[in-house]
Amino acid sequence: MLGYIIRRILAVIPVMVIVAIFVFLLLRLTPGDPAAIIAGDSATPAQIQRIRESLGLADPLHIQFITWMGQLAQGDLGTSIISNQPVTRLIGQRIWPTLQIGTLTIILSVLIAVPLGVLAAWRHRTWADYAVMTFSVLGFSIPVFVIGYIFIKIFAIDLRWLPVQGYTPPGQDLQAFFTRAVLPCLTLATIYIALIARMTRASLLEVLGEDYVRTARAKGVKEHVVLFRHALRNAAVPIMTIIGTGFALLISGVVVTESVFNIPGIGRLTVDAILARDYPVIQAMILLTSAIYVFINLLIDISYTFFDPRIRY
Amino acid sequence: MQFRNRPFDTAPVALKIEKLTVRTANDDDAVKILDQIDVTIREGETVCLVGESGSGKSVTSLAIMGLLPKGALEVAGGRVELDGMNLLDLDASTMRKLRASRISMIFQEPMTALNPVMKVGDQIEEVLDSHTKLPAREKKKRVIDIMEQVHLPDVERIYGSYPHQLSGGQRQRIMIAMALILEPKLLIADEPTTALDVTTQNQVLKLIAELQERHGTAVLFITHDMGVVAEIADTVYVMRHGKIVESAPIETLLRSPQKDYTRNLLEAVPSLIPRDARPLADGAPALDVEGLTKVYDTRSFFGRGRETRAAQDVRFAIRPGRTLGIVGESGSGKSTVARCIMRLIDPTDGRITVGKADIAKLGRAALQPHRKHIQIVFQDPFRSLNPRWKVGDSLIEGPLNFGQSRKQALDHARELMELVGLPPDALGRYPHQFSGGQRQRIAIARAIAMRPDVLVADEAVSALDVSVQAQVLKLLDDLQEKLGIAILFITHDLRVAAQICDDVVVMQHGRIVEHDTAGNVLSRPQHEYTRALIDAAPGRRWDFANFRELATA
Repeated sequence: MLGYIIRRILAVIPVMVIVAIFVFLLLRLTPGDPAAIIAGDSATPAQIQRIRESLGLADPLHIQFITWMGQLAQGDLGTSIISNQPVTRLIGQRIWPTLQIGTLTIILSVLIAVPLGVLAAWRHRTWADYAVMTFSVLGFSIPVFVIGYIFIKIFAIDLRWLPVQGYTPPGQDLQAFFTRAVLPCLTLATIYIALIARMTRASLLEVLGEDYVRTARAKGVKEHVVLFRHALRNAAVPIMTIIGTGFALLISGVVVTESVFNIPGIGRLTVDAILARDYPVIQAMILLTSAIYVFINLLIDISYTFFDPRIRY
Repeated sequence: MQFRNRPFDTAPVALKIEKLTVRTANDDDAVKILDQIDVTIREGETVCLVGESGSGKSVTSLAIMGLLPKGALEVAGGRVELDGMNLLDLDASTMRKLRASRISMIFQEPMTALNPVMKVGDQIEEVLDSHTKLPAREKKKRVIDIMEQVHLPDVERIYGSYPHQLSGGQRQRIMIAMALILEPKLLIADEPTTALDVTTQNQVLKLIAELQERHGTAVLFITHDMGVVAEIADTVYVMRHGKIVESAPIETLLRSPQKDYTRNLLEAVPSLIPRDARPLADGAPALDVEGLTKVYDTRSFFGRGRETRAAQDVRFAIRPGRTLGIVGESGSGKSTVARCIMRLIDPTDGRITVGKADIAKLGRAALQPHRKHIQIVFQDPFRSLNPRWKVGDSLIEGPLNFGQSRKQALDHARELMELVGLPPDALGRYPHQFSGGQRQRIAIARAIAMRPDVLVADEAVSALDVSVQAQVLKLLDDLQEKLGIAILFITHDLRVAAQICDDVVVMQHGRIVEHDTAGNVLSRPQHEYTRALIDAAPGRRWDFANFRELATA
């Protein structure tokens, strides 16, 4: 068990190195010269060259790479070209709203989606199943920003139950945090509820046909125990995979929601950085998102051993 | 042969089934799966329900338990009476309370019938949780007690084990413990030993009989194995196409069956008396195996690697036109040997000579031309044919790979269909349109389409009903006569081995413990393991096909 976890953690290192190489090359090899952008339209070639040298962009590619990796290893992600602040500090300011909204969303999704999926599988081919499946298709097909504006129209403007947008840190005022977080979370959750409910249903339907479920019924076990204790845990591995991948996608997909609800998270930071061609920030954001992906996948892999004692690689 | 021959006419009735009819649900032209069946089981009695696949045995048991698959099957009439109640009238909650407390059930596959992610102790305890309100300590005591009653070793350790950490026999004991912990009135056992080795089967059958005696349980035992029936039944019901064909006390049924169907069923049971070995032909062996060894390394990250010797120093040879059987229990290495010879896995050491070439160490490309000389037929005809391919496509794939033209290959395939007793239009159909026996004929046709010198049959008739089994064995025999191929026949079933093999190799723990003609091995076994295997074969003192005791018992 411990050996498995350590091996999984060690396997993360080469993945992250490869990601770093890709990020580095991606930005160096795409057209567009950051030095020219910083210098502005009226700069002379000499000015641009000076800026290029000060950014280290004039060095050969491999020297740039080694320098960059050296900085990375020390936790230095560079300095924003636009705001002149260290990128680590920029991210540090922005990541908490994103993580809070993301975590809340995924908890909400799981709490709603798993029971819905179980219901659909248990009442297979009845109206309950069809209702869940219809909702699931809708959840997939309506774009996030449309759902967001519909929620704002109904709950904030017409009913006036909740504020339209904004963000308050939970440390400052917990109630204000929740009232402002509800709409963005619900908006984001729609697609994940659809996804997780579908996966739960499919996975559970398969397990409900297994012999040990028949055995449990033959033992006279109550139906809810059959569903949750016997079936759901055996169906857990694919559901966990979807939840984990969903969470990772969520962190990188908050861009739209944060714009709609005006939340100062990393989604907005990324959008601003891209619009301004702020290369160090873009680089850092891609690295960070990849790291989150890898880390969450690591957690999923480890969670498998908890759900299924047979998994010991 | 000692039959149980116990009188039950005066014992109180435990379960009475009257005119039970089950049909397919949600269907305008519903098919009757069970048609007015009557079965009576008395306290302490063992009633065997026998019949071939599709006869309705398992549906009967599920109908009693109220566990018919929802939306697929439904009861259309009749009564199932237990304790004066008609079980068919009960609501879901009352029925649930009766399960495990008044009627319980054990299933065929101990591998899949236990929840893989729950400790087995908890799974037994769950029965108590569902039906009683006992304090935790008392519950644990009851669980440990029943685990001891089913003779599990090292009970404390097994209590905390997961199913995959136990052997098949141990898992079936857990199932039995679960079924009997509340001392139900009726135990339904649906093919409970079919997936087990003969020696384990023997122990489990004895265990069921012992617990039945102790608790006075009535047992409804469902099986297709006449040998098992002869060992354990008091009364036998023969089923076919959802109807009871005949019922009688065991000895009466075996000595003087009244109905033709029962006679045919009994006559199809292969005899344990080996056939005479055919005269040894001259010439070089078609397959010559020497010093074959397969070692599996289990490497672990921190600990040291472990070696498993799946086959060790295995040697034998088969001449053209003869059949050599490898018998042994699961884990004896017989399938490993078959797979090595087919080069589906790579042997660690040894020589495998097919014709003149040693193929044991050949690489992928060098092996290719030799592949057609040696072909295999697998156990499960439902899974060994590609379900999305027409039979014809499966049949000609091999010959096309070896350079035959499509037309040649198809012509040959049509001849093969005739040879294995199928209509030529079978080539244009898909595997699911055939029965198990027909599919196995197709699998055999596919193998001999390559015109091999050696045919490996890995448990090739084990998944088939006895009557079908007999036909497929005959087919193999006929083909061998016509084509002169050598057959390597892997089986766990001594009766089958006695019918088809000239020579028999007995394997245990990856080694050959005995190698002689079938006659010598089965009639005058030298090794103690061979003797144990033969002793464990159920119904071995009865000559089913002739309705009497074996002459040489």
